[in-house]
Amino acid sequence: MPLTPMEIYKLLPKTNCKKCGEQTCMSFAFKLLNREKKLEDCKPLFEEKKYEVQLKKLREILKPLEKATETGLIVKSELCNGCGNCIVACPVHVEKDPHGAGIGRGPRIRDPIYRIENGKLVIVNMHLCRRYGKNRILCVVCRENCPTDAISFLEG
Amino acid sequence: MICTGCSCLCEDIEIQDSKILNACEKGYKHISRFKESKAKNRVYGKEVDLDKAIESAVEILKSAKSPAIYGLDTTTVEAQRIAVKIAEKLNGYIDDNSSFCLGEFVEAILRKKIPSATLDEVRDYAYVLVYWGTNPYHSIPRHMSKFTYYPRGKKRNRGYDEDRFLVVIDVRRSETAKLAKKNAKFIKVEDDLELVDSFERALEGKAPKYDVAEIAREMKKADFNAIFGGLGLKYGLRGNYEKFFSFLNKANKFAPLYFIPAGFHSNMRGFNETLFEEVGEVNKFSFIEKRSDPNFSFPELLKNKKIDVALIVGTDPMSSLPFDVSEKLYEIKKVVLDPRETFTAKNAEVSISSAFSGIECGGEMVRSDGVRVKLEPIEKAEIDDVYILRRILEGL
Ligand code: SF4
Ligand code: SF4
Ligand code: SF4
Ligand code: SF4
Repeated sequence: MPLTPMEIYKLLPKTNCKKCGEQTCMSFAFKLLNREKKLEDCKPLFEEKKYEVQLKKLREILKPLEKATETGLIVKSELCNGCGNCIVACPVHVEKDPHGAGIGRGPRIRDPIYRIENGKLVIVNMHLCRRYGKNRILCVVCRENCPTDAISFLEG
Repeated sequence: MICTGCSCLCEDIEIQDSKILNACEKGYKHISRFKESKAKNRVYGKEVDLDKAIESAVEILKSAKSPAIYGLDTTTVEAQRIAVKIAEKLNGYIDDNSSFCLGEFVEAILRKKIPSATLDEVRDYAYVLVYWGTNPYHSIPRHMSKFTYYPRGKKRNRGYDEDRFLVVIDVRRSETAKLAKKNAKFIKVEDDLELVDSFERALEGKAPKYDVAEIAREMKKADFNAIFGGLGLKYGLRGNYEKFFSFLNKANKFAPLYFIPAGFHSNMRGFNETLFEEVGEVNKFSFIEKRSDPNFSFPELLKNKKIDVALIVGTDPMSSLPFDVSEKLYEIKKVVLDPRETFTAKNAEVSISSAFSGIECGGEMVRSDGVRVKLEPIEKAEIDDVYILRRILEGL
């Protein structure tokens, strides 16, 4: 289940007090999900006792964030059989590795996004992924082509 | 190195910092476990040295009234060739697993009854890709990413969602079927023969029973289409291979359509081709009667008590054959060549420890599409199937 900003928002104080540096609690929720902000930046949550239960719930639903990479990607290794569909379909690999992953072989570039190690997909270099950084695109090509849903993204 | 985990024979496997790169999970398990549970040289349960084991094997084979050689799908073409010579010398039977796998399709290709192509051609040119009665995700995991749907090819360089049309035919929505999304179609088949009819009708412009009109239209748009047929297709045809072959040939009047068997053990096709070169048949062959017959398949020979000795190479029939067949193996003498201590090896009168083709020893194998691949082993065993079989042949 991908986590949405709305789910996070519901558990925030919703006072738009701006102490976190954001104009609204909603925009704080967005940044939290993108890991541009930390939960600790919302001071009221920690200072005011009435938010105790909400804080606990927030910590719980944000747990997967710790496991995910900077692009919100999660690979469930136990579901992966190393078929390589995701690697070959990835548009970045096609562009940067036309003689390797682009034509179905194991990646030949130094730091591909993904490769298969010991039969399982591993993330080598997330920085090449289209979902990374400021101008990111919400690409889902690898996830869409995994036959067993071994790949998921926090943001859907 | 080359992975011999299945008939894709992927050639891009690397070993780096003791990690195996690029092989799928099936291949990884195949490659990484080659040192586990090695077979022992044994004669009637007693450990012996290699010379003694070979000597006993020769004795048993010499005294056989009606011997059979069986297996051979995971060994090299070189070893298969010697095995055929041994069967000839013994006036025995020879068979592999292809008689209950895709042997009929390979045979039709070798006899040039149906048009086939290589997987490299598929990568470069194919548009409509039909997976019929097979779930490559399990049996040949990298097939789609390495050869067919996903890779960019010379004339297919715009990617799978524009340059390919995927068709998955199966009795259930398999993992592979889940990939049939845009520019694709999944057909849940109940009657394969009826589906063959539907394709024929659709190509001729008539109304088909199964909803395949769109597929026929797409095929006609392209100059290269391919069907990858698996066991589901084989059993779905219920013996009516000719009907399917004639459909393939008729279809080619409307659009180029090639057939490639969807894969099996690493060198099953190699066995079919080797035997075909030597005797003109692909499997279940008798050197006494000089012909192939359904009754000469290894399970049938066992069931009908036609053999008294079996030379079994690289397969474990006591675990893999149905019990009513495999129990018959207790009644005959078995000489087993295997790198692994299989159940059959443990119960054999003579067990000889061999090497893993492609990992510990080299040679040639034949990919599912007929392309010959030179193995690149990471070790160099002196005792392999070729060595052992050659010495057995000399001993006879
Ligand atoms: S500090 Fe917390 S309560 Fe205040 S605006 Fe930010 S998220 Fe909302
Ligand atoms: S999200 Fe897109 S760019 Fe990133 S790894 Fe997956 S396919 Fe490649
Ligand atoms: S597509 Fe899925 S199963 Fe295949 S390698 Fe990628 S994550 Fe693993
Ligand atoms: S697809 Fe077959 S040959 Fe290729 S890596 Fe996997 S098991 Fe080995």
